[in-house]
Amino acid sequence: MTWHVRPDLLERYARGDAEATQAYSVEAHLPSCEHCRGQIAALVDAGRLERVWDDIEEHLDAPRRGPVEAGLIRVGVPDHVARLLGATPALRLSWLLACALVLVFAAWGASRRTEGLVVFLALAPLLPIAGIAAAYGPDLDPTYEIGLAAPMHSLRLLLIRALAVLVTTTATTAVASLALPGLHWSAAAWLAPSLGLTLTSLALATRLAAPAACGSVAVVWLLSVAIGGRVTDEPLLVFGLAGQLTCMLVAAIAAAVLARNTDSFERRGGIA
Amino acid sequence: MSAERSDVEVLAAVADGDRRALRVLYDRHAPWLALRLARRCADPGVVDETIQDTFMAVWRSAGRYSGQGDVGAWIWGIAIRRLIDALRRLPRAEVLVAEVHDRPCVEEDVLLGVEHGDLGGALSRLSPELRAVVQATVLDGLTSREAGRLLGIPAGTVKTRMMRARAQLREELA
Amino acid sequence: MTQATITMSDLRKRYGTTDVVAGMTLSIGPGVTGLLGPNGAGKTTLMRMLATVLAPTSGDLRLLGLDPADRDERTEMRRRLGYMPQEPGFHRHFTAFEFVDYIAILKEMTDTRERHRDVRRVLELVGLGDVAGQRIRKLSGGMRRRVALAQALLGDPELLVLDEPSAALDPEQRMRFRELASGLGQERIVLVSTHQTEDVAALCQRVIVMHDGRAVFDDTPAQLSALAHGRVWIADQRDPRAQLWWRTAEGHHRHVGDPPPAAQLVEPTIEDGYLLLVGPQAADARVAA
Repeated sequence: MTWHVRPDLLERYARGDAEATQAYSVEAHLPSCEHCRGQIAALVDAGRLERVWDDIEEHLDAPRRGPVEAGLIRVGVPDHVARLLGATPALRLSWLLACALVLVFAAWGASRRTEGLVVFLALAPLLPIAGIAAAYGPDLDPTYEIGLAAPMHSLRLLLIRALAVLVTTTATTAVASLALPGLHWSAAAWLAPSLGLTLTSLALATRLAAPAACGSVAVVWLLSVAIGGRVTDEPLLVFGLAGQLTCMLVAAIAAAVLARNTDSFERRGGIA
Repeated sequence: MSAERSDVEVLAAVADGDRRALRVLYDRHAPWLALRLARRCADPGVVDETIQDTFMAVWRSAGRYSGQGDVGAWIWGIAIRRLIDALRRLPRAEVLVAEVHDRPCVEEDVLLGVEHGDLGGALSRLSPELRAVVQATVLDGLTSREAGRLLGIPAGTVKTRMMRARAQLREELA
Repeated sequence: MTQATITMSDLRKRYGTTDVVAGMTLSIGPGVTGLLGPNGAGKTTLMRMLATVLAPTSGDLRLLGLDPADRDERTEMRRRLGYMPQEPGFHRHFTAFEFVDYIAILKEMTDTRERHRDVRRVLELVGLGDVAGQRIRKLSGGMRRRVALAQALLGDPELLVLDEPSAALDPEQRMRFRELASGLGQERIVLVSTHQTEDVAALCQRVIVMHDGRAVFDDTPAQLSALAHGRVWIADQRDPRAQLWWRTAEGHHRHVGDPPPAAQLVEPTIEDGYLLLVGPQAADARVAA
């Protein structure tokens, strides 16, 4: 490159004062001449260029958003909460796939009438607590220890995730229950037990590890359904009015226990 | 500035995913891009957005640089098209049609020294609309359709104006 | 009102009938303090208590003037501390950037732009700027540890509790880590637990040796080597009565303790002093390493 732009012309060009022919010359020249490009770089506002670079880095780094996270953000959930939920194993595709199994049971239930209904109603409330077990706990959450040392209250994190799991499983199950024969109040009889089991598991998780808490609640539930059906020869006993009210009562007690023991999630090994 | 990597080498590093190489390219080219884009669009916000889009596109398509022509020219090709895209999303009032002078189409590789008075004079006697299409097609390397989008006129009009510009210049320089 | 110290008084952690931490009384201020000790000495347990992750069984603990037993003060403390556990776990599908970003959210950094800037900053500090976009499961063990170190640096905390930060790092990375840690130690309290005596020598202004839940040494690294002064010998043959010995790279035998026959006295290193304190148990671990 033997010809370079005169410094005073570069300055005029940078200021926007260059006359048209001259500007044209400069522009034809610059893309190929590193010397003149270097000269002109000093004449452009560095702060502004730094800001634009910041934007570029931001775009390059922006963490990939899964469909769940993107969806949450669209309905107005704040960025960082959506990110937390998006990382929950319970909300990832594999988990949602498991929920879809409920649909399979529903279809089976549709063909088997009463037995089908019992199985469906017994299994549906177990979905949220399985999700919670998967979302939190020293064995299943790899960032458990680092998370404890962070200021965000671990219980808050657990509750956010529990709520997300509850909402997802409730929605999936509600859709599935439409497949059951005869739209009937009994198709929604899993709602109260769902809530009851979830809150009880959370309350128990103040004493035991989350998976153990959820496991024991699941066992007790299934036994109640089975025994209730056997003893009275009415398989849907647990889901009747008395059963629903009991579930609500249990849920209320569990919520109270949970509220009183929020501290126990804050350290390793439970109660400080 | 000795022992520095050439633009081609830096671009190859960008194609490899080297973020720091992108920064090098940015530091070298963003300044003149900012100035050149500003002479085609009066809105600094749109210019900033275009610079950002350009380097994102450079990041993604660094591997597709064919090696033909300078890296700077390749980047300009990306930038001007990003500007056109941005302008299509905006009301036309934002577009500044820059004052421009022609280069004779037959001698595109001749560098215009500022001292070439009579050529510059012939160009300056073109009307602003003719100069604008010449700048868009010759200097910026756009197709008639792209030039039309940049300037907000139909492609056909671009072509007719180019013909008139060429005819006028040939007449003057003959 | 906070002071820039950690103070503990008769701090104890009991599991069943064992006191894993058996009554430690210490005060730690700004600078880099090394915590040295064999496996099972209680280092990790102590670290966990200082990181507010584990509650002590008894004793008094104040971190920067705050009491971790009080819930609100504990939360406030957590805003000022960075913790790198001995075995950090990762959501493996995350990239390095995404993981550190996730932890940053747990650290209550809610402004996305600011948070991403800090994530970039800490990844650069540990030398992972180039691989920020790589999935964690594709990173080597050393790189993963550096990711864990990076998250501890988020938000520029006043207290850094680092459990085995230089394990699995190659010598170049270890040097880089030392530079980083000394820089941080200028104004912050940095507590580093390690097996590597060379790290202690190069980095720490103060070293505490733990053994069986107690601090058996608390002074400068130079004093630790001085403990073994006059007690380190090199001989061609191994002395069968010796309790502490090992083969050196040159094929000689280094003995710490009583002089073996036909031996030459040499200058002690920190490692010699350390082994003298903690005994053959640690020497076995060293030989096996």
